[in-house]
Amino acid sequence: MPGAIDYSRITIVPDFDTAEWWMGTKQHKYLVRQCKSCGHKWFPPFPACSKCTSMDLTWFETAGKGVIHSYVVVTQPILSAFIETVPYVVALIELDDCHEADGALVRVAGVLLDDEEAVAMGLPVEVVFEETKEPNIVIPRWKICGTAENTWKFTE
Amino acid sequence: MGNLTDKYCVVGVGETPHMRPSNRTTLSMACEAVKKAMANAGLEPRDIDGMTSYQAGDSTTSNHVATSLGIRLNYSLDIFGGGSSTEALIAHAVGLLEGGYCKTIVIFRSMNGRSGRRMGGQAPSGPVPPTQAAGDQQFYMHWGWTTPAQWFGMSAMRYLRDTGATTKTFAEVAVAHRYHASLNPKAIMRAPITIEDHQRSRWVSKPLRLLDCCLETDVSAALIITSRERAFDLKQPPVFIMGGTARTMAPSPSWNYSRPEIHYVAGNYGRNRLFGMAGISQKDVDIISCYDAFTFTTTIQLEAYGFCGKGEAKDFVKGGRLQIDHELPSNLSGGHLSEGYTHGISMVIENVRQLRHRADDACPRWAEGIHTYDRKAGCRQVKKARIAACLGWGTEATSSSAILRGIIG
Repeated sequence: MPGAIDYSRITIVPDFDTAEWWMGTKQHKYLVRQCKSCGHKWFPPFPACSKCTSMDLTWFETAGKGVIHSYVVVTQPILSAFIETVPYVVALIELDDCHEADGALVRVAGVLLDDEEAVAMGLPVEVVFEETKEPNIVIPRWKICGTAENTWKFTE
Repeated sequence: MGNLTDKYCVVGVGETPHMRPSNRTTLSMACEAVKKAMANAGLEPRDIDGMTSYQAGDSTTSNHVATSLGIRLNYSLDIFGGGSSTEALIAHAVGLLEGGYCKTIVIFRSMNGRSGRRMGGQAPSGPVPPTQAAGDQQFYMHWGWTTPAQWFGMSAMRYLRDTGATTKTFAEVAVAHRYHASLNPKAIMRAPITIEDHQRSRWVSKPLRLLDCCLETDVSAALIITSRERAFDLKQPPVFIMGGTARTMAPSPSWNYSRPEIHYVAGNYGRNRLFGMAGISQKDVDIISCYDAFTFTTTIQLEAYGFCGKGEAKDFVKGGRLQIDHELPSNLSGGHLSEGYTHGISMVIENVRQLRHRADDACPRWAEGIHTYDRKAGCRQVKKARIAACLGWGTEATSSSAILRGIIG
Protein backbone atom coordinates (compact mmCIF):
# COMPACT_ATOMS: atom_id res chain seq x y z
CA MET A 1 0.00 0.00 0.00
CA PRO A 2 1.36 3.45 -0.83
CA GLY A 3 2.47 5.63 2.08
CA ALA A 4 0.31 8.30 3.62
CA ILE A 5 -0.48 11.55 1.89
CA ASP A 6 0.23 14.52 4.15
CA TYR A 7 -2.88 16.55 3.50
CA SER A 8 -1.69 19.23 5.91
CA ARG A 9 0.71 20.21 3.10
CA ILE A 10 -2.09 20.92 0.62
CA THR A 11 -4.64 23.63 1.19
CA ILE A 12 -7.73 23.10 -0.94
CA VAL A 13 -9.36 26.38 -1.92
CA PRO A 14 -13.00 25.73 -2.90
CA ASP A 15 -14.62 28.38 -5.05
CA PHE A 16 -17.95 29.34 -6.59
CA ASP A 17 -17.81 26.44 -9.06
CA THR A 18 -16.53 23.77 -6.67
CA ALA A 19 -17.71 24.48 -3.12
CA GLU A 20 -20.70 22.17 -3.43
CA TRP A 21 -18.52 19.39 -4.80
CA TRP A 22 -16.37 19.54 -1.66
CA MET A 23 -19.54 19.62 0.46
CA GLY A 24 -20.45 16.42 -1.35
CA THR A 25 -17.26 14.58 -0.40
CA LYS A 26 -17.87 15.45 3.25
CA GLN A 27 -21.17 13.57 2.91
CA HIS A 28 -19.33 10.75 1.09
CA LYS A 29 -20.96 11.60 -2.21
CA TYR A 30 -19.05 11.62 -5.49
CA LEU A 31 -20.71 14.32 -7.60
CA VAL A 32 -20.37 15.25 -11.24
CA ARG A 33 -21.86 18.27 -12.95
CA GLN A 34 -25.10 17.80 -14.88
CA CYS A 35 -26.90 20.18 -17.24
CA LYS A 36 -30.56 20.75 -16.41
CA SER A 37 -31.32 21.61 -20.03
CA CYS A 38 -29.80 18.71 -21.98
CA GLY A 39 -28.71 16.21 -19.35
CA HIS A 40 -25.02 16.30 -20.30
CA LYS A 41 -22.67 15.32 -17.46
CA TRP A 42 -19.05 16.24 -16.96
CA PHE A 43 -16.13 16.49 -14.60
CA PRO A 44 -14.38 18.56 -13.21
CA PRO A 45 -17.29 20.90 -12.46
CA PHE A 46 -16.69 23.62 -15.02
CA PRO A 47 -19.49 26.20 -14.90
CA ALA A 48 -21.16 25.77 -18.30
CA CYS A 49 -22.46 22.90 -20.39
CA SER A 50 -20.13 22.28 -23.33
CA LYS A 51 -22.97 20.74 -25.36
CA CYS A 52 -25.65 23.46 -25.05
CA THR A 53 -23.91 26.35 -23.17
CA SER A 54 -26.54 26.28 -20.42
CA MET A 55 -25.39 27.51 -17.05
CA ASP A 56 -28.46 26.17 -15.34
CA LEU A 57 -26.82 23.19 -13.70
CA THR A 58 -27.35 20.53 -11.10
CA TRP A 59 -25.29 17.68 -9.63
CA PHE A 60 -25.46 13.97 -10.36
CA GLU A 61 -24.48 11.66 -7.54
CA THR A 62 -22.55 8.72 -8.95
CA ALA A 63 -22.36 5.35 -7.28
CA GLY A 64 -18.58 5.88 -7.16
CA LYS A 65 -17.78 2.79 -9.18
CA GLY A 66 -15.87 2.51 -12.40
CA VAL A 67 -13.14 0.89 -14.45
CA ILE A 68 -9.47 1.85 -14.74
CA HIS A 69 -9.04 3.45 -18.16
CA SER A 70 -5.39 4.37 -17.72
CA TYR A 71 -2.88 4.99 -14.96
CA VAL A 72 0.50 6.42 -14.17
CA VAL A 73 2.95 5.29 -11.52
CA VAL A 74 4.50 8.25 -9.74
CA THR A 75 7.95 7.39 -8.49
CA GLN A 76 9.23 10.88 -7.86
CA PRO A 77 7.28 13.13 -5.47
CA ILE A 78 7.07 16.76 -6.51
CA LEU A 79 4.86 18.17 -3.80
CA SER A 80 5.96 17.74 -0.21
CA ALA A 81 2.62 16.14 0.68
CA PHE A 82 3.56 13.07 -1.37
CA ILE A 83 7.09 12.43 -0.10
CA GLU A 84 5.95 9.47 2.01
CA THR A 85 3.46 8.26 -0.61
CA VAL A 86 5.75 7.19 -3.46
CA PRO A 87 5.52 4.99 -5.37
CA TYR A 88 1.81 5.47 -5.93
CA VAL A 89 -0.66 4.98 -8.76
CA VAL A 90 -2.90 7.73 -10.10
CA ALA A 91 -5.71 6.08 -12.01
CA LEU A 92 -8.00 7.51 -14.66
CA ILE A 93 -11.38 5.99 -13.98
CA GLU A 94 -14.33 5.64 -16.30
CA LEU A 95 -17.47 5.85 -14.17
CA ASP A 96 -20.02 3.06 -14.70
CA ASP A 97 -23.17 5.13 -14.28
CA CYS A 98 -22.31 8.43 -15.74
CA HIS A 99 -22.00 9.37 -19.39
CA GLU A 100 -21.73 12.57 -21.40
CA ALA A 101 -24.43 13.67 -23.83
CA ASP A 102 -22.78 11.80 -26.73
CA GLY A 103 -22.50 8.58 -24.76
CA ALA A 104 -18.84 8.80 -23.72
CA LEU A 105 -18.34 7.73 -20.14
CA VAL A 106 -17.32 10.48 -17.75
CA ARG A 107 -13.81 10.04 -16.35
CA VAL A 108 -12.37 11.06 -13.04
CA ALA A 109 -8.92 10.52 -11.55
CA GLY A 110 -7.56 9.72 -8.14
CA VAL A 111 -4.88 8.02 -6.10
CA LEU A 112 -5.33 4.29 -5.71
CA LEU A 113 -5.07 2.68 -2.30
CA ASP A 114 -3.52 -0.30 -4.12
CA ASP A 115 0.07 -0.81 -5.15
CA GLU A 116 1.43 -0.76 -8.67
CA GLU A 117 1.61 -4.58 -8.70
CA ALA A 118 -2.16 -4.81 -8.41
CA VAL A 119 -3.13 -2.24 -11.02
CA ALA A 120 -4.22 -2.95 -14.60
CA MET A 121 -6.41 -1.23 -17.14
CA GLY A 122 -9.88 -2.73 -17.15
CA LEU A 123 -10.05 -3.54 -13.43
CA PRO A 124 -13.09 -2.34 -11.47
CA VAL A 125 -12.57 0.20 -8.71
CA GLU A 126 -14.70 1.95 -6.13
CA VAL A 127 -14.36 5.21 -4.27
CA VAL A 128 -13.20 5.42 -0.67
CA PHE A 129 -13.60 8.68 1.18
CA GLU A 130 -10.55 9.57 3.22
CA GLU A 131 -11.01 11.84 6.22
CA THR A 132 -8.17 14.27 6.73
CA LYS A 133 -7.07 16.18 9.81
CA GLU A 134 -8.36 19.25 8.02
CA PRO A 135 -11.98 19.23 9.28
CA ASN A 136 -13.50 20.76 6.18
CA ILE A 137 -11.98 18.46 3.59
CA VAL A 138 -12.65 14.83 2.70
CA ILE A 139 -10.60 13.39 -0.15
CA PRO A 140 -11.87 10.66 -2.47
CA ARG A 141 -9.45 7.83 -3.21
CA TRP A 142 -10.05 4.59 -5.07
CA LYS A 143 -9.45 0.90 -4.53
CA ILE A 144 -9.60 -2.14 -6.76
CA CYS A 145 -12.81 -4.03 -5.99
CA GLY A 146 -12.84 -7.05 -8.28
CA THR A 147 -11.33 -8.84 -11.25
CA ALA A 148 -11.89 -8.60 -14.98
CA GLU A 149 -11.02 -10.28 -18.24
CA ASN A 150 -8.96 -8.56 -20.92
CA THR A 151 -6.99 -6.37 -18.59
CA TRP A 152 -3.81 -4.66 -19.69
CA LYS A 153 -0.79 -4.07 -17.53
CA PHE A 154 2.40 -2.18 -18.23
CA THR A 155 5.39 -4.49 -18.19
CA GLU A 156 8.99 -3.64 -18.79
CA MET B 1 -3.77 32.00 -44.45
CA GLY B 2 -4.50 32.10 -48.17
CA ASN B 3 -3.42 35.46 -49.59
CA LEU B 4 -1.21 36.17 -46.57
CA THR B 5 1.03 33.23 -47.37
CA ASP B 6 4.64 34.34 -47.80
CA LYS B 7 3.73 37.99 -47.12
CA TYR B 8 5.52 38.10 -43.75
CA CYS B 9 8.88 36.76 -42.66
CA VAL B 10 10.97 35.84 -39.67
CA VAL B 11 14.02 38.09 -39.98
CA GLY B 12 15.89 37.87 -36.69
CA VAL B 13 16.52 35.29 -33.99
CA GLY B 14 18.54 35.29 -30.80
CA GLU B 15 18.84 33.68 -27.42
CA THR B 16 20.85 33.63 -24.23
CA PRO B 17 22.89 30.54 -23.43
CA HIS B 18 20.86 27.70 -21.97
CA MET B 19 21.74 27.86 -18.29
CA ARG B 20 21.07 26.05 -15.04
CA PRO B 21 21.06 28.25 -13.06
CA SER B 22 21.26 31.63 -14.74
CA ASN B 23 21.71 33.75 -11.60
CA ARG B 24 19.96 36.44 -13.64
CA THR B 25 16.53 38.03 -13.88
CA THR B 26 14.12 37.12 -16.66
CA LEU B 27 14.28 40.81 -17.64
CA SER B 28 18.05 40.75 -18.04
CA MET B 29 17.91 37.57 -20.11
CA ALA B 30 15.06 38.88 -22.28
CA CYS B 31 16.99 42.09 -23.03
CA GLU B 32 19.97 40.01 -24.15
CA ALA B 33 17.84 37.75 -26.35
CA VAL B 34 16.03 40.69 -27.99
CA LYS B 35 19.31 42.56 -28.56
CA LYS B 36 20.78 39.48 -30.22
CA ALA B 37 17.71 39.03 -32.41
CA MET B 38 17.89 42.68 -33.48
CA ALA B 39 21.60 42.36 -34.25
CA ASN B 40 20.93 39.16 -36.15
CA ALA B 41 18.38 40.94 -38.34
CA GLY B 42 20.35 44.18 -38.62
CA LEU B 43 17.67 46.18 -36.86
CA GLU B 44 17.91 49.01 -34.32
CA PRO B 45 15.58 49.64 -31.36
CA ARG B 46 13.88 52.38 -33.38
CA ASP B 47 12.86 49.81 -35.99
CA ILE B 48 10.82 47.75 -33.52
CA ASP B 49 7.28 48.88 -32.77
CA GLY B 50 5.55 45.71 -31.61
CA MET B 51 6.43 43.21 -28.90
CA THR B 52 4.63 40.15 -27.56
CA SER B 53 5.60 37.48 -25.10
CA TYR B 54 4.16 34.53 -23.27
CA GLN B 55 4.65 33.24 -19.79
CA ALA B 56 3.19 31.22 -16.96
CA GLY B 57 3.43 33.79 -14.21
CA ASP B 58 7.17 33.35 -14.29
CA SER B 59 8.56 36.12 -16.45
CA THR B 60 8.95 39.77 -17.30
CA THR B 61 6.76 41.81 -19.66
CA SER B 62 7.13 43.31 -23.11
CA ASN B 63 6.93 46.80 -21.68
CA HIS B 64 9.76 46.16 -19.24
CA VAL B 65 11.97 44.80 -21.99
CA ALA B 66 11.09 47.54 -24.47
CA THR B 67 11.63 50.28 -21.88
CA SER B 68 14.97 48.82 -20.86
CA LEU B 69 16.19 48.77 -24.46
CA GLY B 70 14.75 52.15 -25.46
CA ILE B 71 12.18 50.65 -27.80
CA ARG B 72 8.98 52.63 -28.28
CA LEU B 73 6.07 50.28 -28.92
CA ASN B 74 2.83 50.90 -30.73
CA TYR B 75 1.52 47.52 -29.65
CA SER B 76 2.44 45.09 -26.92
CA LEU B 77 0.79 42.04 -25.44
CA ASP B 78 1.86 39.47 -22.89
CA ILE B 79 -0.19 36.30 -22.94
CA PHE B 80 -0.48 33.43 -20.53
CA GLY B 81 0.64 30.20 -22.04
CA GLY B 82 3.11 27.45 -22.62
CA GLY B 83 4.01 25.29 -25.56
CA SER B 84 1.29 26.35 -27.95
CA SER B 85 2.31 30.01 -27.75
CA THR B 86 5.20 30.63 -30.14
CA GLU B 87 3.29 29.60 -33.25
CA ALA B 88 0.16 31.34 -31.93
CA LEU B 89 2.08 34.58 -31.56
CA ILE B 90 3.56 34.17 -35.05
CA ALA B 91 0.03 33.96 -36.47
CA HIS B 92 -0.97 36.86 -34.26
CA ALA B 93 1.97 38.92 -35.56
CA VAL B 94 0.89 38.28 -39.15
CA GLY B 95 -2.54 39.66 -38.27
CA LEU B 96 -1.08 42.72 -36.56
CA LEU B 97 1.24 43.49 -39.45
CA GLU B 98 -1.49 42.99 -42.01
CA GLY B 99 -3.80 45.25 -40.00
CA GLY B 100 -1.19 47.98 -39.84
CA TYR B 101 -0.94 47.96 -36.05
CA CYS B 102 2.82 47.83 -36.28
CA LYS B 103 5.65 47.22 -38.74
CA THR B 104 8.12 44.98 -36.97
CA ILE B 105 7.32 42.67 -34.06
CA VAL B 106 9.49 40.92 -31.50
CA ILE B 107 8.23 37.71 -29.88
CA PHE B 108 10.11 36.52 -26.81
CA ARG B 109 10.00 33.99 -23.98
CA SER B 110 12.14 34.40 -20.88
CA MET B 111 12.14 31.96 -17.99
CA ASN B 112 14.19 30.72 -15.08
CA GLY B 113 12.67 27.30 -15.58
CA ARG B 114 15.27 25.61 -13.40
CA SER B 115 16.28 28.12 -10.74
CA GLY B 116 12.99 30.00 -10.57
CA ARG B 117 9.52 28.64 -10.85
CA ARG B 118 9.62 25.03 -12.01
CA MET B 119 6.90 23.39 -14.05
CA GLY B 120 4.44 21.65 -11.79
CA GLY B 121 5.87 23.38 -8.74
CA GLN B 122 4.06 26.09 -6.90
CA ALA B 123 6.99 28.14 -5.77
CA PRO B 124 10.61 28.86 -6.60
CA SER B 125 13.07 26.10 -5.81
CA GLY B 126 13.81 25.52 -2.16
CA PRO B 127 11.66 24.53 0.81
CA VAL B 128 8.11 24.10 -0.41
CA PRO B 129 5.39 25.82 1.63
CA PRO B 130 1.93 24.23 2.05
CA THR B 131 0.51 24.12 -1.42
CA GLN B 132 -2.60 26.04 -2.40
CA ALA B 133 -4.82 23.93 -4.62
CA ALA B 134 -7.06 26.49 -6.29
CA GLY B 135 -8.94 26.61 -9.59
CA ASP B 136 -8.37 23.57 -11.80
CA GLN B 137 -5.72 22.31 -9.42
CA GLN B 138 -8.36 21.34 -6.89
CA PHE B 139 -8.87 18.35 -9.15
CA TYR B 140 -5.26 17.40 -9.74
CA MET B 141 -3.21 18.33 -6.76
CA HIS B 142 -4.74 16.35 -3.95
CA TRP B 143 -4.29 13.28 -6.18
CA GLY B 144 -0.59 13.93 -6.45
CA TRP B 145 -1.12 14.44 -10.15
CA THR B 146 0.55 17.78 -10.57
CA THR B 147 3.36 17.75 -13.08
CA PRO B 148 3.41 17.42 -16.84
CA ALA B 149 5.30 14.11 -16.53
CA GLN B 150 2.46 12.76 -14.42
CA TRP B 151 -0.26 14.06 -16.76
CA PHE B 152 1.39 12.93 -19.97
CA GLY B 153 2.32 9.63 -18.40
CA MET B 154 -1.40 8.90 -18.15
CA SER B 155 -1.90 9.43 -21.89
CA ALA B 156 1.34 7.66 -22.74
CA MET B 157 0.26 4.58 -20.79
CA ARG B 158 -3.05 4.32 -22.65
CA TYR B 159 -1.24 4.98 -25.92
CA LEU B 160 1.03 1.99 -25.33
CA ARG B 161 -1.99 -0.22 -24.78
CA ASP B 162 -3.98 1.07 -27.74
CA THR B 163 -1.21 1.11 -30.35
CA GLY B 164 1.14 -1.67 -29.34
CA ALA B 165 4.01 0.80 -29.18
CA THR B 166 6.62 0.18 -26.48
CA THR B 167 8.89 2.48 -24.55
CA LYS B 168 11.49 1.71 -27.24
CA THR B 169 9.34 3.84 -29.51
CA PHE B 170 9.90 6.71 -27.10
CA ALA B 171 13.60 5.83 -26.96
CA GLU B 172 13.95 6.39 -30.72
CA VAL B 173 12.85 10.00 -30.25
CA ALA B 174 15.25 10.56 -27.35
CA VAL B 175 18.17 9.09 -29.32
CA ALA B 176 17.43 11.17 -32.45
CA HIS B 177 17.09 14.45 -30.62
CA ARG B 178 20.18 13.79 -28.53
CA TYR B 179 22.15 13.00 -31.66
CA HIS B 180 21.22 16.42 -33.01
CA ALA B 181 22.22 18.02 -29.71
CA SER B 182 25.62 16.37 -30.06
CA LEU B 183 26.05 18.58 -33.15
CA ASN B 184 24.87 21.71 -31.32
CA PRO B 185 27.43 23.55 -29.20
CA LYS B 186 24.59 25.42 -27.45
CA ALA B 187 22.87 22.29 -26.14
CA ILE B 188 22.96 21.42 -22.44
CA MET B 189 23.08 17.64 -22.95
CA ARG B 190 25.42 16.67 -25.79
CA ALA B 191 26.65 13.14 -25.06
CA PRO B 192 24.99 10.80 -27.56
CA ILE B 193 22.75 8.13 -26.09
CA THR B 194 21.56 4.71 -27.24
CA ILE B 195 18.24 2.93 -26.99
CA GLU B 196 19.79 0.92 -24.14
CA ASP B 197 20.78 4.09 -22.27
CA HIS B 198 17.20 5.21 -22.50
CA GLN B 199 15.90 1.87 -21.29
CA ARG B 200 18.26 1.95 -18.32
CA SER B 201 17.39 5.47 -17.17
CA ARG B 202 15.33 5.79 -14.01
CA TRP B 203 11.57 6.18 -13.88
CA VAL B 204 10.08 9.60 -13.33
CA SER B 205 6.46 8.77 -13.87
CA LYS B 206 5.95 5.33 -15.32
CA PRO B 207 5.83 4.80 -18.33
CA LEU B 208 8.11 7.86 -18.68
CA ARG B 209 11.79 7.65 -17.79
CA LEU B 210 14.30 10.38 -17.10
CA LEU B 211 15.42 10.33 -20.75
CA ASP B 212 11.81 10.82 -21.85
CA CYS B 213 11.68 14.20 -20.11
CA CYS B 214 12.84 17.65 -21.21
CA LEU B 215 15.45 19.66 -19.35
CA GLU B 216 14.49 22.36 -16.92
CA THR B 217 16.34 25.40 -18.20
CA ASP B 218 17.00 29.07 -17.50
CA VAL B 219 16.92 30.84 -20.86
CA SER B 220 15.45 33.60 -22.97
CA ALA B 221 14.87 33.52 -26.72
CA ALA B 222 13.42 35.96 -29.23
CA LEU B 223 12.43 36.18 -32.87
CA ILE B 224 11.46 39.12 -35.07
CA ILE B 225 8.80 39.27 -37.77
CA THR B 226 8.23 41.87 -40.48
CA SER B 227 6.96 42.22 -44.03
CA ARG B 228 8.68 40.60 -47.00
CA GLU B 229 9.50 44.03 -48.44
CA ARG B 230 11.46 45.00 -45.34
CA ALA B 231 12.86 41.51 -44.97
CA PHE B 232 14.79 41.69 -48.22
CA ASP B 233 16.61 44.81 -46.95
CA LEU B 234 17.88 43.05 -43.82
CA LYS B 235 20.94 40.97 -43.02
CA GLN B 236 19.60 37.43 -43.29
CA PRO B 237 17.90 35.44 -46.01
CA PRO B 238 14.16 35.84 -45.29
CA VAL B 239 12.16 32.95 -43.91
CA PHE B 240 8.55 33.16 -45.07
CA ILE B 241 5.52 32.33 -42.97
CA MET B 242 3.36 30.08 -45.14
CA GLY B 243 0.57 29.38 -42.69
CA GLY B 244 -0.26 28.93 -39.07
CA THR B 245 -2.85 27.91 -36.54
CA ALA B 246 -3.26 29.36 -33.09
CA ARG B 247 -4.61 27.48 -30.12
CA THR B 248 -6.80 25.06 -31.98
CA MET B 249 -8.78 22.94 -29.56
CA ALA B 250 -9.07 19.20 -29.32
CA PRO B 251 -12.11 17.82 -31.15
CA SER B 252 -13.96 17.09 -27.93
CA PRO B 253 -14.10 20.15 -25.72
CA SER B 254 -14.44 18.18 -22.52
CA TRP B 255 -11.81 17.62 -19.85
CA ASN B 256 -8.52 16.55 -21.39
CA TYR B 257 -8.98 13.10 -20.03
CA SER B 258 -12.59 12.52 -21.04
CA ARG B 259 -12.02 12.42 -24.77
CA PRO B 260 -12.68 9.08 -26.44
CA GLU B 261 -8.96 8.57 -26.93
CA ILE B 262 -6.84 10.54 -24.53
CA HIS B 263 -3.93 10.50 -26.94
CA TYR B 264 -6.02 12.01 -29.74
CA VAL B 265 -4.88 15.62 -29.51
CA ALA B 266 -5.59 19.08 -30.89
CA GLY B 267 -3.16 18.70 -33.79
CA ASN B 268 -5.60 16.23 -35.30
CA TYR B 269 -7.97 19.12 -35.65
CA GLY B 270 -5.50 21.81 -36.69
CA ARG B 271 -3.60 19.91 -39.34
CA ASN B 272 -5.92 20.33 -42.31
CA ARG B 273 -6.17 24.01 -41.63
CA LEU B 274 -2.41 24.31 -41.34
CA PHE B 275 -1.51 22.47 -44.52
CA GLY B 276 -4.47 23.97 -46.35
CA MET B 277 -3.30 27.50 -45.61
CA ALA B 278 0.25 26.75 -46.63
CA GLY B 279 -0.94 24.97 -49.77
CA ILE B 280 1.36 22.01 -49.25
CA SER B 281 1.15 18.47 -47.94
CA GLN B 282 3.14 16.61 -45.33
CA LYS B 283 5.31 15.14 -48.10
CA ASP B 284 6.63 18.61 -48.94
CA VAL B 285 8.04 19.13 -45.46
CA ASP B 286 11.82 18.78 -45.16
CA ILE B 287 12.30 19.27 -41.43
CA ILE B 288 10.06 19.53 -38.40
CA SER B 289 10.13 20.86 -34.90
CA CYS B 290 8.00 18.75 -32.67
CA TYR B 291 7.14 19.88 -29.18
CA ASP B 292 9.22 17.42 -27.19
CA ALA B 293 8.38 18.23 -23.62
CA PHE B 294 8.45 14.42 -23.56
CA THR B 295 9.46 11.87 -26.14
CA PHE B 296 5.83 10.79 -26.13
CA THR B 297 4.55 14.21 -27.19
CA THR B 298 6.66 14.01 -30.34
CA THR B 299 5.32 10.55 -31.08
CA ILE B 300 1.68 11.58 -30.97
CA GLN B 301 2.29 14.83 -32.86
CA LEU B 302 3.72 12.88 -35.78
CA GLU B 303 0.39 11.07 -35.87
CA ALA B 304 -1.77 14.09 -35.15
CA TYR B 305 -0.26 16.16 -37.94
CA GLY B 306 -0.51 13.34 -40.41
CA PHE B 307 3.15 12.46 -40.92
CA CYS B 308 2.04 8.93 -40.21
CA GLY B 309 -1.26 7.28 -39.41
CA LYS B 310 -2.77 6.91 -35.96
CA GLY B 311 -0.82 4.32 -34.04
CA GLU B 312 1.88 4.12 -36.71
CA ALA B 313 4.58 6.19 -35.01
CA LYS B 314 6.09 3.01 -33.58
CA ASP B 315 7.18 2.04 -37.09
CA PHE B 316 7.65 5.57 -38.37
CA VAL B 317 10.36 6.49 -35.85
CA LYS B 318 12.25 3.20 -36.08
CA GLY B 319 15.82 3.08 -37.25
CA GLY B 320 16.59 6.75 -36.79
CA ARG B 321 14.13 8.16 -39.32
CA LEU B 322 13.83 11.36 -37.25
CA GLN B 323 17.58 11.90 -37.52
CA ILE B 324 19.41 14.26 -39.80
CA ASP B 325 20.05 12.78 -43.28
CA HIS B 326 16.99 10.53 -42.86
CA GLU B 327 13.32 10.94 -43.82
CA LEU B 328 12.07 13.60 -41.43
CA PRO B 329 14.75 15.28 -39.30
CA SER B 330 13.11 16.46 -36.09
CA ASN B 331 14.33 19.05 -33.60
CA LEU B 332 17.73 19.63 -35.13
CA SER B 333 18.97 21.65 -32.15
CA GLY B 334 18.27 18.73 -29.83
CA GLY B 335 14.93 20.13 -28.79
CA HIS B 336 13.62 20.39 -25.31
CA LEU B 337 14.90 16.94 -24.49
CA SER B 338 18.53 17.87 -25.05
CA GLU B 339 19.17 21.50 -26.00
CA GLY B 340 17.04 23.05 -23.26
CA TYR B 341 13.43 23.75 -22.44
CA THR B 342 12.12 27.08 -23.72
CA HIS B 343 8.41 26.42 -24.06
CA GLY B 344 8.70 25.93 -27.80
CA ILE B 345 10.44 29.01 -29.12
CA SER B 346 13.94 27.59 -29.53
CA MET B 347 12.76 24.88 -31.93
CA VAL B 348 11.23 27.51 -34.17
CA ILE B 349 14.49 29.46 -34.02
CA GLU B 350 16.41 26.37 -35.06
CA ASN B 351 14.08 25.88 -38.02
CA VAL B 352 14.68 29.49 -39.06
CA ARG B 353 18.44 28.93 -38.96
CA GLN B 354 18.13 25.70 -40.91
CA LEU B 355 15.99 27.39 -43.58
CA ARG B 356 18.54 30.18 -43.89
CA HIS B 357 21.20 27.48 -44.20
CA ARG B 358 22.95 29.14 -41.32
CA ALA B 359 22.69 26.56 -38.56
CA ASP B 360 25.30 27.76 -36.08
CA ASP B 361 26.92 24.39 -35.75
CA ALA B 362 30.28 23.05 -34.74
CA CYS B 363 31.28 22.41 -38.33
CA PRO B 364 35.01 23.13 -38.69
CA ARG B 365 34.50 25.45 -41.65
CA TRP B 366 31.49 27.28 -40.26
CA ALA B 367 33.70 30.24 -39.29
CA GLU B 368 34.02 30.77 -43.05
CA GLY B 369 30.28 30.29 -43.49
CA ILE B 370 30.73 26.92 -45.16
CA HIS B 371 28.81 23.76 -44.28
CA THR B 372 30.63 20.50 -44.88
CA TYR B 373 27.53 18.36 -44.13
CA ASP B 374 30.01 16.10 -42.37
CA ARG B 375 28.17 14.97 -39.25
CA LYS B 376 31.26 13.42 -37.71
CA ALA B 377 32.93 16.81 -37.93
CA GLY B 378 29.98 18.49 -36.21
CA CYS B 379 27.92 19.97 -39.07
CA ARG B 380 24.18 19.92 -38.36
CA GLN B 381 22.91 21.88 -41.36
CA VAL B 382 20.35 19.87 -43.31
CA LYS B 383 21.39 19.84 -46.96
CA LYS B 384 18.03 20.50 -48.56
CA ALA B 385 16.00 22.30 -45.95
CA ARG B 386 13.39 24.40 -47.66
CA ILE B 387 10.15 23.84 -45.75
CA ALA B 388 9.80 23.41 -42.00
CA ALA B 389 6.71 22.47 -40.00
CA CYS B 390 6.71 23.86 -36.46
CA LEU B 391 4.38 21.80 -34.31
CA GLY B 392 3.73 23.44 -30.98
CA TRP B 393 1.34 22.59 -28.23
CA GLY B 394 0.47 23.38 -24.68
CA THR B 395 -1.75 20.71 -23.31
CA GLU B 396 -3.35 17.78 -25.04
CA ALA B 397 -6.34 20.01 -25.69
CA THR B 398 -4.56 22.89 -27.44
CA SER B 399 -2.17 23.14 -30.31
CA SER B 400 -0.57 25.81 -32.46
CA SER B 401 1.51 25.30 -35.55
CA ALA B 402 3.25 27.13 -38.36
CA ILE B 403 4.87 26.30 -41.66
CA LEU B 404 7.97 28.24 -42.66
CA ARG B 405 9.75 28.37 -46.00
CA GLY B 406 13.28 29.40 -46.85
CA ILE B 407 14.59 30.61 -50.19
CA ILE B 408 17.79 28.59 -50.27
CA GLY B 409 18.17 24.89 -50.96
